[in-house]
Amino acid sequence: MNVLVVLAIILFILMVLIGGRKGIRSFISLFLNFGVLILTVFFLLDPAMNPIILILIACAIISCINLFYINEVNSKTKTAFLSTVITIIFLVLLIYIMTNKLMIQGFTEEEVEELSTLFSLYIGLDFVKIAAAMIIVSTIGAITDVAISITSPMQEIFDQNPDITKKDLFISGIRIGRDILGSNTNTLFFAFFGGYLALLLWVKDMEYSIGEIANSKIFTSELLIILSAGIGIAMIIPIASWINSYYLVKKREQDALQKQGE
Amino acid sequence: MNLKNITYKQIVFYMSLAVLVIGSLLFVNNNHSFYDRPIAKVLEADLEEATDVVDAYGNEDRLFTQSIEAEMKNGAVKNRNIHLINEYSSSGAFDQAYKEGDELFVWIDEEAGKDEELTGTIQDVKRDKHILPIVWIFIFILHLIGKRQGFFSIISLLLNAAILSYALDIYVENSDIGLLIICGVTVVLFTITSLLLINGFNEKTYAAIIATLLGTFISFFITYAVLWMTGENGLRYEAIDFLSRPFKPVFLAGLLIGSLGAVMDVAITMSSSVFEMYENNHAIDNKTLKQSGLHIGRDIMGTMTNILFFAYISGSIPMLLLFLKNESLWGFTLSLNLSLELARALAGGIGIVLAIPIGLYISIFFVNRKRGRV
Repeated sequence: MNVLVVLAIILFILMVLIGGRKGIRSFISLFLNFGVLILTVFFLLDPAMNPIILILIACAIISCINLFYINEVNSKTKTAFLSTVITIIFLVLLIYIMTNKLMIQGFTEEEVEELSTLFSLYIGLDFVKIAAAMIIVSTIGAITDVAISITSPMQEIFDQNPDITKKDLFISGIRIGRDILGSNTNTLFFAFFGGYLALLLWVKDMEYSIGEIANSKIFTSELLIILSAGIGIAMIIPIASWINSYYLVKKREQDALQKQGE
Repeated sequence: MNLKNITYKQIVFYMSLAVLVIGSLLFVNNNHSFYDRPIAKVLEADLEEATDVVDAYGNEDRLFTQSIEAEMKNGAVKNRNIHLINEYSSSGAFDQAYKEGDELFVWIDEEAGKDEELTGTIQDVKRDKHILPIVWIFIFILHLIGKRQGFFSIISLLLNAAILSYALDIYVENSDIGLLIICGVTVVLFTITSLLLINGFNEKTYAAIIATLLGTFISFFITYAVLWMTGENGLRYEAIDFLSRPFKPVFLAGLLIGSLGAVMDVAITMSSSVFEMYENNHAIDNKTLKQSGLHIGRDIMGTMTNILFFAYISGSIPMLLLFLKNESLWGFTLSLNLSLELARALAGGIGIVLAIPIGLYISIFFVNRKRGRV
């Protein structure tokens, strides 16, 4: 039996046992997301497509799956979706500028040595844009998670204090965001640490100097991924809080107007 | 008086921070003499030639040749000009165009006479002066938005990176101690430091620490058992880059560390909400706690597994594209490049789901102990 199949079956059984129907949805969402990613790769193969635009569309679909399919379509997930899209657009611009400046696109010297004997590396794709796309995809899961974790309790607070001002609502959103910031960044940091273990051992074994590490393509690109993840998670906190407080207060005002009209 | 004191402290804090930022930026822009490797700063880059190429698979690309005039910034040849040639492609899989102001590590060809121009080859780009501003942006954004919590997550990142680096040093120096044992101990340290930093010294944190360790190690043993039972069928270890050590322990240790953050997140969410419910209503019975806890766990399980999934899979995108553009078959490409990442994501998912009941029952156990004392 294939390892992946057995692990997937175990994950499915656990998700159903503990999560019930929601567990099944969570499991299916993994498959849907995998499908979106493969489809994105398929479109990225066409040199005429702009990888940045493609990845923005992919991220929008992925956050639809994470927000609307796993949860459901309501005002909480809708504002979370809008905040995710806005954050992603800001972040992709920032990351694109950084990848361009740092020149970390494509493959490293060590990889190229091995790859160039097997593959043609002049494949006509824009690897700078692809690198930016890759970095944004690595944080999309975390960004949607923070968005829904902020808008959902904000709705609760709004329901419990219907007269709350926009400013107070915004501040409580920020406060909720701060509480989850630490554990969310940790989730990604450790995922990246785990993934870089082979690389870290390589650096130790080859006895790279600090100067070599600080300038090497591979290390700076991994560092950029970690830093962008942190920036993305932090940035969505005020964005989601502001959009949600604006929306909720606006809706309250409209409802009040309607009542007056009746 | 008190207020004055605080502002005074704040002024000192922000002044020293400003000095630190400006000082470090000045340093990375002028640290050439600290490098042994020769560094050249590009003064002028002219495009000499451009040719269209088509590879064996019909991929069209464009190759360029740049003639570069640069000034040496360090060593015995400082301030002398050097002539460099740079070849790059428009796709830039492993090359790039250079422009005025870029700084490059170079190899100088045998010493030319005092009046002759130096020639050499480009080795790499000096990236430290570009990465440092991003580090500062990261610190500022996290601190500005997260305040105390943002500051703690930066400290936690630094501390954990230091612990990991130290642990790997121990492994490299004493290879007879297994990597898995070292990483197992490291995981315990990671969990204790991160959760204490995020949540402080209290019973919520202790419950989360125990739940995290149980969840991480149980899911690790499940994965280990699956690997053993299936004979690792379907895992393509040859896909690990930068391998200087036996591949299997490196993969397993990475798997152990990789899921830790997600499991911690679930454990702390479970214990915080169980304790919160108890604090709000001391009379709440275990059955209600269990039900509401399970409800919260269900809400986070999907998004948490997706976080890990994207964090792992995304890194493979450039490699997938390279394989597919070289007309490798989809099945081969995906299984070779994604098998380890998918295994990690699934194992992490198992850890996340297991952490829900484990975190729930341990928190309830702690709450009941608290009840007994009251």
